Amino acid sequence: MTDIQTQTKPELLAPAGNLEKLKFAIHYGADAVYIGGKQFGLRSKAGNFSYEDMKEGIAFARKYGAKVYVAANIIAHNENLAGAKDYFKKLYEVGIDAVIVADPALIAACKEAAPDLEIHISTQASIANWRTVEFWKNEGIPRVVLAREVSLEEIKEMKEKVDIELEAFIHGAMCISYSGRCVLSNHMTARDANRGGCAQSCRWKYDLFEDGTDGSENISEQSDESYTMSSQDLSMVEHMPDLLAAGVDSLKIEGRMKSIHYVATVVNVYRKIIDTYFEDPDHFEIDPEWVDEIWKAAQRSLTTAFYYNEPTEKDQLFGKPARIPKYDFAGLVLDYDEATQIATIQQRNSFGVGDEVEFFGPNFYHFKQTIEEIWDENGEPIDRAKHAMMITKVKVDQPLKYYDMMRKRK
Amino acid sequence: MGSPYQPELIATARDMNEVQKLIDVGVDAITIGHQNYGLRVTGDFSIEEIKAATTYCHQHGVKVYILTNAIFHNDILETIPTYLKELESVKVDGIICGDPSIFMIVSSYDIHIPIIWNPETLATNYETLNYWHQKGISRAILSNELAIDAIKEINEQVSFPVDIQVHGMTCIFQSKRKLVENYYRHIDKSYDRQQVMHITQGKEEDTHYPIFEDVNGTHIMSDADLCMIDHLPLLLDAKIHGLRINGILKSTDYHVEITQLYKEAIDTYLEDPTQFELKKAGFKQRIYNIQPEDRKLGTGFYFKEQIY
Ligand code: SF4
Repeated sequence: MTDIQTQTKPELLAPAGNLEKLKFAIHYGADAVYIGGKQFGLRSKAGNFSYEDMKEGIAFARKYGAKVYVAANIIAHNENLAGAKDYFKKLYEVGIDAVIVADPALIAACKEAAPDLEIHISTQASIANWRTVEFWKNEGIPRVVLAREVSLEEIKEMKEKVDIELEAFIHGAMCISYSGRCVLSNHMTARDANRGGCAQSCRWKYDLFEDGTDGSENISEQSDESYTMSSQDLSMVEHMPDLLAAGVDSLKIEGRMKSIHYVATVVNVYRKIIDTYFEDPDHFEIDPEWVDEIWKAAQRSLTTAFYYNEPTEKDQLFGKPARIPKYDFAGLVLDYDEATQIATIQQRNSFGVGDEVEFFGPNFYHFKQTIEEIWDENGEPIDRAKHAMMITKVKVDQPLKYYDMMRKRK
Repeated sequence: MGSPYQPELIATARDMNEVQKLIDVGVDAITIGHQNYGLRVTGDFSIEEIKAATTYCHQHGVKVYILTNAIFHNDILETIPTYLKELESVKVDGIICGDPSIFMIVSSYDIHIPIIWNPETLATNYETLNYWHQKGISRAILSNELAIDAIKEINEQVSFPVDIQVHGMTCIFQSKRKLVENYYRHIDKSYDRQQVMHITQGKEEDTHYPIFEDVNGTHIMSDADLCMIDHLPLLLDAKIHGLRINGILKSTDYHVEITQLYKEAIDTYLEDPTQFELKKAGFKQRIYNIQPEDRKLGTGFYFKEQIY
């Protein structure tokens, strides 16, 4: 039907806030992950990687044929420039596949110190038209991450006009401003948003006033809703064929600060969708189960943002937060004995006999079960696994594997 | 080099009337534009109006810079080459740009107009500006979130002129979304884009962030008006080339008077720093006299540390 059949599968790119998250993201099907190092990144609070962690992460990724990118996407000030060259050189030496950069000062530093280290331009640069894409192509850049404000139509045109890899966000939280063009946090809290200090001021509550010749009228007071500018989270889970048809080369999931449960769940769903689609594009249909699964990790209501239309108030967070079922990562499966049907599970959140839990693993493997018996490490039966990280044995009817996860509704 | 340092005092202009008045009070250059191409223009100038304004300015030895610093989307690429060609033909003195597409456009269409780089929040270090200089910019407007030492260091480390804003509101947020209109729809109230508005931050009632929408989306402006009149020596000693006054959301009378005051203050200092010292409290007082009640004066980030 379409030329999609000749198209290669796009990359599924997942966030990895730390080494453990990296392993889960890749094991659950990410083709590449992006991480932060100790410098030049925007997530000062994500558990950023040391060079040792990077090496271990890269070694793990290689076993799966996956890639590791480092985000170095601050907008630097003079005093931040020192050390940039050494940093990029070191990243290249440890084997990082690409760096994601927004500030041309860092592009220049990287090109000079590590000419063979691939550079991707970050979404912080707000690339929103094909001429800008072409500009970066001329600069020798193989991939750009698009602004969140571009539509699918615009992406198509970019792809037609410029031969370059396009990376676009498909899932996760978003700035409501053009990325990089918001200094609310700088002004309201003296924390520099473009160097990782954003206080999320857009999501605060404000009062809106109409100013007239004889004073101002508080409009917000007349309604039970404060003025706020919070975006719902992006999710393209129901629209993947459109993104694939637009020619996006790398499908990016946001969330280096998110939990392992989040990363594994979201990656698992998109992996499944992409694989299913490419098996038989003509008969592809969205399975409601995939959408259900996405909601198990969702933290806010979901929107398609700018991909189809300009977002309206329906794409913002107003009113009471939507009641989204919340799940905890209850346990990590370390082992499973088929003969005895006993799983070895490392506790991640309290669980106990009588709890209804759901097991899941890569390739969209899923089943629910009520927990009937638990033993501690010494083989003593227990009622609840209360201690963090404790090793338990649990009777589970269906087979499991290392890295499978057990979740429980909160 | 060689010629004595003479800073350029640059002011925004809302209409032809403002252009004339600003010239009368001694402005060196004006910035004008149209919201289809430029960010936060104080009034829309059609291409004919730009031509008229440019002719008038040039007759009076005043330069004209055109705001073309929007974040471009594909659609604008269809009209911008013609627009730039027209600007070139009327010999405007520069275009103020912030989207890297501009380098592709000017080379593809063989357009020769000096490019003044203004990516708003992204002009924060000298290596960045040197990079853009290699791509063809001849001048840059620094981000407003910089301390005086950083401004000086940048000015020393680049070989081309840099500009900074010394007075008026600064933009602190731009979204492509219609965030005010959306809110009005949400609370089911009719919305008028011409209505002047501001927001206050939660419990802090004395904050005052002007907010408005145009074709480029929603813009939020700073809580205080930047006012550097009594600190001008810092900038003049550092030989900063362009000192900018933004008249957005201000009356023509206010804007013209402010420009006149800065002109006087700059001339006074360059002629006789002692005189400036004696007069600076007076300059500041004259600003207070006309300052709108709801707008504080401040020094932005010139003397403020940021954490991250
Ligand atoms: S305040 Fe909101 S829009 Fe601004 S940088 Fe932070 S998250 Fe993004």
